Amino acid sequence: MSQRYEKIEFLGEGQFATVYKAKDKDTDNIVAVKKIKAGSKIEAQDGINRTALREIKILQELNHKNCLVLLDVFSQGSMSNVSLVFDFMDTDLEVIIKDNTIILTTANIKSYTIQTLQGLEYLHLNWILHRDLKPNNLLVNAAGLLKIADFGLAKLYGSPNRINTHQVVTRWYRSPELLFGAKQYGACVDMWALGCIVAELLLRLPFLPGESDLDQLTKIFQVFGNPTEQNWPAVKTLSDYVEFKPYPPVPLKNIFIAAGDDLLDVLGALLVLNPLKRKNCSEALQMPFFSNKPAPTVSNKLPLPQSIKKIKDLERPSLKRKLLNSAEGGNLSKRLFF
Amino acid sequence: MEDTICPRCKTTKFQNPSLKMMVNVCGHALCESCVDLLFLKGSGSCPDCRIALRRNNFRVQLFEDATVEKEVDIRKRVLRDFNKKEEDFSTLGGYNDYLEEVETIIYNLTNNIDVINTNKKIEDYKKGNREQIMKSKNKMSREEYELEELLEIEKQTELSRRNEIKLEEMKTKKKKLREKEALIDELMFSNANAKNIVETFTQHAKESKEVETKVASKVTQFSSGIQFGRQSQSSLLPVSIEEGPLFHYKPQSCITDGPHPPVEDDLSTLGYNVHIRAETEQERAGGFVSNIACMRALQDALAGLYHVKKAIV
Repeated sequence: MSQRYEKIEFLGEGQFATVYKAKDKDTDNIVAVKKIKAGSKIEAQDGINRTALREIKILQELNHKNCLVLLDVFSQGSMSNVSLVFDFMDTDLEVIIKDNTIILTTANIKSYTIQTLQGLEYLHLNWILHRDLKPNNLLVNAAGLLKIADFGLAKLYGSPNRINTHQVVTRWYRSPELLFGAKQYGACVDMWALGCIVAELLLRLPFLPGESDLDQLTKIFQVFGNPTEQNWPAVKTLSDYVEFKPYPPVPLKNIFIAAGDDLLDVLGALLVLNPLKRKNCSEALQMPFFSNKPAPTVSNKLPLPQSIKKIKDLERPSLKRKLLNSAEGGNLSKRLFF
Repeated sequence: MEDTICPRCKTTKFQNPSLKMMVNVCGHALCESCVDLLFLKGSGSCPDCRIALRRNNFRVQLFEDATVEKEVDIRKRVLRDFNKKEEDFSTLGGYNDYLEEVETIIYNLTNNIDVINTNKKIEDYKKGNREQIMKSKNKMSREEYELEELLEIEKQTELSRRNEIKLEEMKTKKKKLREKEALIDELMFSNANAKNIVETFTQHAKESKEVETKVASKVTQFSSGIQFGRQSQSSLLPVSIEEGPLFHYKPQSCITDGPHPPVEDDLSTLGYNVHIRAETEQERAGGFVSNIACMRALQDALAGLYHVKKAIV
């Protein structure tokens, strides 16, 4: 640790980094320090890890209340030993979704969705695709403020000649055009992931838990019906397109029985097979659901997991769990190797 | 179960979600309304195999495969007569042979193999072992004894628990009485402030109560070990709803330190996108349109053109 940050405890270790909870001696704030690993010898020769570099490159230009912004970067000794400093976040949306002692009301869901949409709108306005949205990357602090985190897969978009990889986004939140192998895409991929997250907030279970890429498409079409030339022109030209057994679309009303009509409209606007028909953040935020009653829960009234509410010392910060998950490799392909 | 269909009226589970399939001894299923219709008089014949059936022998089909239902019926009937127990045989081999024979009979009857001979076999057995059958019926098997024992034990523990509770209650009553007397004595003969005395006594009483409540643990499971009720229900308290301010959308703008780039609608009207390669069909299908690239190029070109003094952090 450097002069300025005093290590409090070890939080977790992942593929690319080790995370510590630390105290900023200058401001007395609690921060999370992510120490990037030097990596293998070949990587170390290049300097610092590419994922980390990508994260730093994008993060240092960000400044929005709903994005986990970089507070500081410092290095000790050699230049390849880099640490990133972030705000410390208590939990994440995945913990909240899985905690069955928490009841999520429409107002709660509205609040989380608005915060995510505002953060995402900022990113998209600045030509940044997050490409790895999932509940576990939406961190929440004890004050109920939600921040989008983990920019390891984020990328600038909008260059017409740059080829992007379609192997991004955790599979369950991956949009159909990515699954069909689109190399050129836009902000719509994040919108689909967000739709899946809102659905998960309602169901308290992953909405489309595909076991393989093909199974993921099957799960999608079982709900939304198969794509046709009418509702998704030129879908057959996508490189990985395959014909599926025809499924009739199921009305969302039958899946989300408890959701109001205005909320179903939001889901219906985000989860559209054709990426060009999906609403973008600004359009989505202007939908009636968000301005309708009930009003979104004010941040500090949002529900928190028991562990944080009761015993502040025993809190399980999300960053740790997340890193542990990625260290195990998980059963989902989430990481890219460039 | 989704594609259950009544063979007579062709109603499916999809058309009528409350469709209830019934089955009789022959193992052919019918829906409830068909049974009502065909067996109006109490008896009739199966539309499938023409066997005479009684209405009150119909029951709800539990297994998806109706032949399983048939087998269950036949097994019940056959075992009523073939009711020898393990104790009736001198060797395990003999018992096993007997069980094997019973299974063969049941299998034959369910699958309509050699029905006449099999039925004859049953009749012969019945005649030959009439006394034995009657005896076995009256005799309780070992399992039944065990069950009886278990029930007895449960009853006993229940009784002892109740006694314990009664005893406990008596004790607390006595204790209370004693405490009351002690308090009165103290008030009568002590020189201390009456208020203080009362306070200390109430405190004592409270403490002892707390201890008691901790001791008395309630039974939380059935004898089979299954918990009473649902454990998580305690958390389902009503959520207090607090209304905050309603949300109003405010468009975000990014600070570019330059002139405002044209909005997306201007791209075609002012002809900006003429200079950009149009997207291919495939790119369009993937969600990419040339307007995105055009907007970004314009924004990038105009960004940072103004001289802005920024505080160096």
